Amino acid sequence: MTAAELSLGAVVLAPLLAAALAAALPHTARRALGVGIAALVLLLTGLLAVQTVAGEVTELALGGYPAPLGIHLRADGLSVLFLGMTALVGAVVTVFAAASRHTHQAFWTLWLGCWAGLNAVFVSGDLFNTYVGLELVGLTAVALVALGGRGSWAPALRYLFIAVLGSLLLLVGVGLIVSVTGTLDVVQAAEVLAGRPDAAPAALLALTLITVGLCMKLALLPMHAWLVPAHASAPSAVSPLLSGLVIKAALFVLLRCWLWLTDSSGALSALAPLAWGLGAFGAAAVLIGSVMALRQSALKPLAAYSTVAQVGYWFVAFPLLLEEDAAEGAFIGIVALALGHGIAKAGLFLGAGYLKEAYGTDEIEQLRGAGRQHPYAVMGMSLGLVGLIGLPISLGFTGKWNIATAAVAAEHWWILVLLAAGTLLSAGYAVRALAPLLLQESPTPGEARISRNYRSVPGLCVIGLGALTLVTGFGGVLIAEALEVGAPW
Amino acid sequence: MAEPVDWVLAAAALVAAAVVVLPRSLLPHTRIVQVMGFLLLSVVTSLIWLRLDSVDVALAEAALGGGLLGGALVYVASGPRRDRPSAAATGWLAPVLGTAAGAVLVVILASAWLRVEQTMPGWTDPLQEQLPATGVEHGITGVLLAFRAYDTLLESAVLMLAALAALALRQNTDPGAEPELASFRHTHAGHTARSATFSWMVRLSAPVLLLAGLWLLFAGSSDSGGAFQSGAVLAALLILLRVAGTAPRWLAPSHLNAAQDRLSTVPGRIMVAALVAGVVVFILAGLLGPLVGEPWLSWDPAWAFAVILTVEVLLTAGIAAGLYALYLALEDPRATGERTVRHRTKAGESR
Repeated sequence: MTAAELSLGAVVLAPLLAAALAAALPHTARRALGVGIAALVLLLTGLLAVQTVAGEVTELALGGYPAPLGIHLRADGLSVLFLGMTALVGAVVTVFAAASRHTHQAFWTLWLGCWAGLNAVFVSGDLFNTYVGLELVGLTAVALVALGGRGSWAPALRYLFIAVLGSLLLLVGVGLIVSVTGTLDVVQAAEVLAGRPDAAPAALLALTLITVGLCMKLALLPMHAWLVPAHASAPSAVSPLLSGLVIKAALFVLLRCWLWLTDSSGALSALAPLAWGLGAFGAAAVLIGSVMALRQSALKPLAAYSTVAQVGYWFVAFPLLLEEDAAEGAFIGIVALALGHGIAKAGLFLGAGYLKEAYGTDEIEQLRGAGRQHPYAVMGMSLGLVGLIGLPISLGFTGKWNIATAAVAAEHWWILVLLAAGTLLSAGYAVRALAPLLLQESPTPGEARISRNYRSVPGLCVIGLGALTLVTGFGGVLIAEALEVGAPW
Repeated sequence: MAEPVDWVLAAAALVAAAVVVLPRSLLPHTRIVQVMGFLLLSVVTSLIWLRLDSVDVALAEAALGGGLLGGALVYVASGPRRDRPSAAATGWLAPVLGTAAGAVLVVILASAWLRVEQTMPGWTDPLQEQLPATGVEHGITGVLLAFRAYDTLLESAVLMLAALAALALRQNTDPGAEPELASFRHTHAGHTARSATFSWMVRLSAPVLLLAGLWLLFAGSSDSGGAFQSGAVLAALLILLRVAGTAPRWLAPSHLNAAQDRLSTVPGRIMVAALVAGVVVFILAGLLGPLVGEPWLSWDPAWAFAVILTVEVLLTAGIAAGLYALYLALEDPRATGERTVRHRTKAGESR
């Protein structure tokens, strides 16, 4: 067993063990455990990344039982990219939660369990195991929302219904694939499907069910109404995890199913109507989500509607996945946008939560001049918004650039128009959110002296995510190279 | 081919489902009738699983779907009604649309399903070959705790986290937020509204349930049954003891929810320990493989049975504790008797 194979299991089992132990520990020990596990997961993810850079897919048959009897864990380029984004954002938010006085004591168990679930989804090579991982993510995410107090219970319950319904649709799709292929392993199922053209209708139906189920979890318009209250009413340390990481698990599974499962089976070309439908909903999400974000008066709902809009971009590129010469660029674009969004949106939400904890409100009007007291937090939010608009240097820019070039190659000009409109609108809501915070007024006019908060760890966490938004912006080429490892083509 | 009994079961399942889901504007009935429909549905579903020779699934359905979920639904349905004034004019539209959409989906699904040639699961042959190495004789237990042990581990973690979340949210409950609900729970908590007959019935049936639960656990290695079914039966036993007020104090963590002591009391600690022990030991057992250079979750045939048995016993305890914790989260902290118990415990601790 190599170190990379060991990490493959450990990225799931270490946070899961910590989640169980945290429940039995006193509160201060939970914080220490959470930070320690964050460091460990960063290390383990690094070991996997080294293997990927060397051009190898890490694979492990659990228990020594090969598929179809046992479960395979598999980390290719796509897995490692999502693992890395989760580890970076997760580690920063963990430090924020450990330093914040407002962290609920049940946060640690639930977040570490959620982290284990996210990693389980990203390294899973098995369809049913993917479903179990998504269950772990969904249930803990719902509970994390509910930690926001009484007001968040109704959004949490609604989120639970959506998450369970989405999972059921996924499960029916997986059942259909098993009955046709006789295996749950993604690679083996793809091989069987490729050799059986008569199974194409069943595979198409299965993929449709899986897609609809996952789009519910992804809050693709018009199934987005649950997301805004859930992400906006969650505690400060939770909203960044939900918007940045949790919905990415569903996107990951969707990409896995669309590109790996249907590879060369002929079902992909039959998916064209579905892909165009998703593209249309994605375009509507970009426009409506951005306009709704512009109309918000509070930071957290604004950030939540911005998530609805950003989800739209990923789906706008779905029709391009079916074009021979544009698929690769569109794939890189979707992944870059999703990774960039994970970091930038986490920064924006973390900053909004930080200000809400500091001032007791996230109404933009009442936060006028907050940048004077909390320069790091507001600076971090600004950098996050740079990433969300898609300005260089950020992964948002890399993603939009890749999708735009792919759209030109496939001659889908409407995508260029939409990208431009979406970018303008997102610049609009960025100014709407930021400008009042940068004014030379004080949000607490009574106090004569303004103490600038340069030392607080939570503020440093926010600017840390903002800095990561820029630093990862240099990694566009790396992403393209990593996606070559274990690529579906 | 389908025999008459299968047609009867299918019709019964449809009727029961209709009673559950049809709205009151189409079928005038009360919530209790709906719950009864649900209980009937779960009995019929268990029988259908039996007809399909899936004894393990039938047992799980009867214990979890029928027993525990049914109990929780009865508890909620007999509470105060808090219906919103619904728009009567469009009350039928949503269910009709939903039913139509469901019917269309089923037709499409069935036509695709029936048209393709089914493939037998590819794991049937390797399962028979590999089973002797696991130390268990029953195929389903082999799948759950050896071949796909990872799935079982994650599923047990889901239940553990659900129970811990429910307990944490229960602590969050703001007293006095909902007076009508509180008064309902006040009379419902079992401390006031239990009869002597009920109490004796529970006392008499408790040993039988305990035996049944343990039998399901240990029979699981060679026959149908296992941690999930056994845990459900044991949780039902705990809930009955709790409702009848006959539970020993260490089994009735009445002050689990008191915000100031947060699970730090003895019953609370037992509860949390039982909840997490299964998952913790499962992961540590999974680490045995990497320690000797094997993959995660692999066990040498020499001690595979010992590991599986230990994990299964602890998982059973965890599942029972988890389901019991979910039930406790339904109850209200301010029910009668709680305060006196708390005082008594405090006095006991100070002594």
